[in-house]
Amino acid sequence: MANRVICDIPLNRVEGDLEIKVAVEDGRVVDAWSSGTMFRGFERMLVGRAPLDGLVITPRICGICSLTHLTAAAKALDGIAGVAPPPNAGRLRNVALMAETMQSDVRQSVLMHMNGFANVFHSGHDLYDQAVARYASLAGERSLDVVRQTKRIVEIIALIGGQWPHTSFMVPGGVVYAPPVSDILKCRNILSQFRSWYEGTVLGCPTERWLEVDSRQALEAWLAESSRHRESDVGFLIRFGLGAGLGNLGRGYDRFLSYGSLELPEGTTVAGTAGRLVAAGFAEGVTVEAFDQARIAEHVASSWYRDYPGGRHPFDGETEPVPSGDEGGKYSWSKAPRYKGLAAETGPLAERIVAGDPLFRDLIADGGANALVRQLARLTRPTTYFQAMDAWLGELIQRFGEPVYHHPGDLQDGEGIGLCQAARGALGHWVRIKDGRIAHYQIITPTAWNGAPRDSEGLRGPWEEALIGIPVSDPDNPALLGHVVRSFDPCLVCTVHVVGASGRRTL
Amino acid sequence: MPISLFWVQCGGCGGDSISFLNAESPNFVEVLKGAGIRLLWHPSLSDATIGERRALVERLRQGEEALDILVVEGSIVRGPSSTGMYDTHEGRPKKDLVAALARRARFVVALGTCASFGGIGVDGPIEASGLQFRRCEPGGLLGADFRAASGLPVVNLAGCPCHPEVLAGTLMALAVDVRLEMDEFNRPLAWYGMTVHQGCTRNEYHEYRIEEEDFGQKGCLFFHKGCHGPLVGGPCNKLLWNRRSSKTRAGVPCFGCTSPEFPTVDPFFFTRNIEGVPTALPNGIIRSHYLVYKTMAAAAAPERLKNRKAEI
Repeated sequence: MANRVICDIPLNRVEGDLEIKVAVEDGRVVDAWSSGTMFRGFERMLVGRAPLDGLVITPRICGICSLTHLTAAAKALDGIAGVAPPPNAGRLRNVALMAETMQSDVRQSVLMHMNGFANVFHSGHDLYDQAVARYASLAGERSLDVVRQTKRIVEIIALIGGQWPHTSFMVPGGVVYAPPVSDILKCRNILSQFRSWYEGTVLGCPTERWLEVDSRQALEAWLAESSRHRESDVGFLIRFGLGAGLGNLGRGYDRFLSYGSLELPEGTTVAGTAGRLVAAGFAEGVTVEAFDQARIAEHVASSWYRDYPGGRHPFDGETEPVPSGDEGGKYSWSKAPRYKGLAAETGPLAERIVAGDPLFRDLIADGGANALVRQLARLTRPTTYFQAMDAWLGELIQRFGEPVYHHPGDLQDGEGIGLCQAARGALGHWVRIKDGRIAHYQIITPTAWNGAPRDSEGLRGPWEEALIGIPVSDPDNPALLGHVVRSFDPCLVCTVHVVGASGRRTL
Repeated sequence: MPISLFWVQCGGCGGDSISFLNAESPNFVEVLKGAGIRLLWHPSLSDATIGERRALVERLRQGEEALDILVVEGSIVRGPSSTGMYDTHEGRPKKDLVAALARRARFVVALGTCASFGGIGVDGPIEASGLQFRRCEPGGLLGADFRAASGLPVVNLAGCPCHPEVLAGTLMALAVDVRLEMDEFNRPLAWYGMTVHQGCTRNEYHEYRIEEEDFGQKGCLFFHKGCHGPLVGGPCNKLLWNRRSSKTRAGVPCFGCTSPEFPTVDPFFFTRNIEGVPTALPNGIIRSHYLVYKTMAAAAAPERLKNRKAEI
C-alpha cells in the first residue's frame, strides 16, 4: 500500500464549500468520502414555530433555489389543510419555479462548471484557447453574456411574487396575489426574449430542432449539421467534454430518482405523465418503476447526528447534532438518504431517464451515466420547459379573473408532505403540525441524495461512488474530480457547507 | 493600483451572491471594472485553484498582500459552545479566518442580515452572530470597538438578501473613499434611511386603513398580515427588485428582513394587535395620536378604496 495516498480536496465553485477526501492508488481514486462540514440547524429552528413560518424560513436554506423550498413548504401545508390550490395558482407557482430552474441551469453550467474548461489543467486540449476566451470566470465572452442575460428570466418571479430570491408568495390554498393581466403579458414577453437568447447562443438552434435529437447518432448528426450547433454552449460542452474524456468519467450507481414536479392544472392543454410535467419514478439503469415516498429512509451512521440503527423515514427522523470529529467513522453533516435502501442520484439526468427520454437513455446505454451527460441534461433542460411555460402564461391570460387562492381553514393538526424537483433534483419537506405549532420538520435536499456519505451498510453515496477511478495528477488542482462533482450541481448550502482537515498524508 | 476584494461565505445560503448576479446597470462585472476592483476570490465564481487560494489567504493574513475590501456573506457560526466547529475551514473554525482577514482589511462589509446581525440561526444551536452585532446588541465576532484600517466599523448591508444595488453602490463608494453616513446599526442611510413602506403601491389603502385579513386582496397588510413595511428601513419599494416589483406590491408582507431582529420569534403573516391596532407602530409615533388619526382616516375612506377599486 506504499502508493496509497489520502488527499483532502476542497472544491471551489459549488454553492458553498465542499471537501472531498479521496484515496489515490497509482494515480487513480480508489475510495472517496464526501464531507459536509457546516451545520445550520434549520429543522430544529422550525419546531415550535407557527405553521406558516416554514414559508419564510425554508427559502433561506438556499439562495439559488429558494423557490423550490417555498414550493415544498407550501405543498406540505396544502396537504395538511386539505386544499388544492385553484388552477391559476398552480400555473403561477409552476411558471415561477420553472423560471428559477432555468436561471440556475444556465448559470451553474456556464459560470460554475464550464469555466473549469479554462483551467490550466486542460491547456493541452485542442479547444483550450477558445475555452479561455469563452468561459474564463467573469471575463470570458460567454460568461459575461450569461451574467447579462440570466437575470432577465427571474424578472418573471418578481412580477408574480415580488422579488427573487427569497419571496414567500405561495401559501396553503394558492398564492397571495393575482398579477394584473398586463404583468402576465410582460412575463410572456420576458420568456420569449429569454428563449430567443437561449436558442440563439446557448443551444444554437430552435427548441423544436433540438427535441428531434433522440439518439447518440442523432446527436452526432446535430453536431455535424451546422457550425451554429457546434459553436453554441451546448455544442462546445459536447466537443470539449468528449475531448477531455468527461464522457467516460463519473459513472456512479446508475440509479435515478425523481419525485415528479409541476402538477398539471385542471383544464390545461399541457400534456404530462400522471398529472405532472416532470414524471416521478425510480430507475435502475433505464428500467423505471413507480416512486413511493414511503420507501425513503435517512441513515446517520456516517453523519454527525445521534445514532440510530438502519434508516428512518423522514416522519420518524430526528436532527440531533453530535459534533464528534473523526470518532466512530462519522464525517459529514449531511445525512444519507436512501430509496429502498439504495443510494440514488437525482437531478436533470435522472428526470430524463425516469421520463424515458430516448436521447438520454441511449447516451447512458453503453457506459452508464457520466459527467458530460449529466451536464448536457442540465444545460438542455430549458428546452423541455418553454412550450409548457408559454402555454400556462397563455392560459393565465385567457382565464384572467379566476381565483388564485382558496382559504385553507385552520392549520391545527396534521401531517403533510411537500415534494418537487428542484433545479438540483428531488426535494422533500415532511411536516407535522400539532396544537397549531410545527412539531416536526424534516427536509431532504437533492444534494443530500447526491452528496450523501456512507449509510449504515457502509455503502458510498452517489458522487462518492462516481469518483472511483478518476485520475488525480495534482491534488491542488483536481480538475477532473471537480468536473465529476460539479456535474451533480452540488448545492452544499442546502445540505451543509463542507470542510475538513487540510493537508495530505501518506499511509 | 486596483482595489483588492476578498469574498468569504460563512453560515448562509449564498443568496446575497446570487442576488448580486441580478445587479443591473452596472452589473456584477461592470461594478468591479468601474470601481477598479480586483476580485481576489469569490467562492462560487473564481478560477483560482484551491492551492492558489490557500497561498493567497496566507499572504493576506501575513499582510504580504494588501486587502482593501473584505466582503463577508452569511452568519458567523459560533456553536457548539462557542467553538465555531459547526462551520470550519481547513479544520479550523471559519470565524477565526474571518477575524484574521478583518484585521488586515481597509474596509469590512457585512453583506446581508446574517453577516450583519446573525439573522437566520441567531437563536438556534449554531449560535450565529453578525460581525459586529448580535441582533441589536453591539459586539458580535469582532467586538463593538472594532475599526477596520480605514477607521470605519463594519458596514452592515442588511437584507435577506441584500438588494444588489446597495452592494454595488457601497463598493463604488468605498473604492473612492466616499464616507457613507450610517445609522445606529451601521447601515448606510442612503438605502436604509427610508421605510420599506415608502413607494408601496398599496399606500393609499394603508392611508385610509383599508386592511386585509386574508391573502389575495388589494388592501394593506400592516394591520393583520404581519407587514413590517412601515417599521423597518430599506429601499425595496424605491429601487424595486429585479427591476420589476416588490414583495409588498405583490401581496407578500414585508418580513422586516433588514432589521437586526429578523427573523422575529413572532409568527410571520401575523400582526400583534391591541383592539385592531398593531402593537408595533412606525418609529416616532405616539400611540394615542395614531389611534385618533387612523380612526378618522378609516371614517374618511372613499368608496373606491373600500370596494378595492384602486389598482395596486
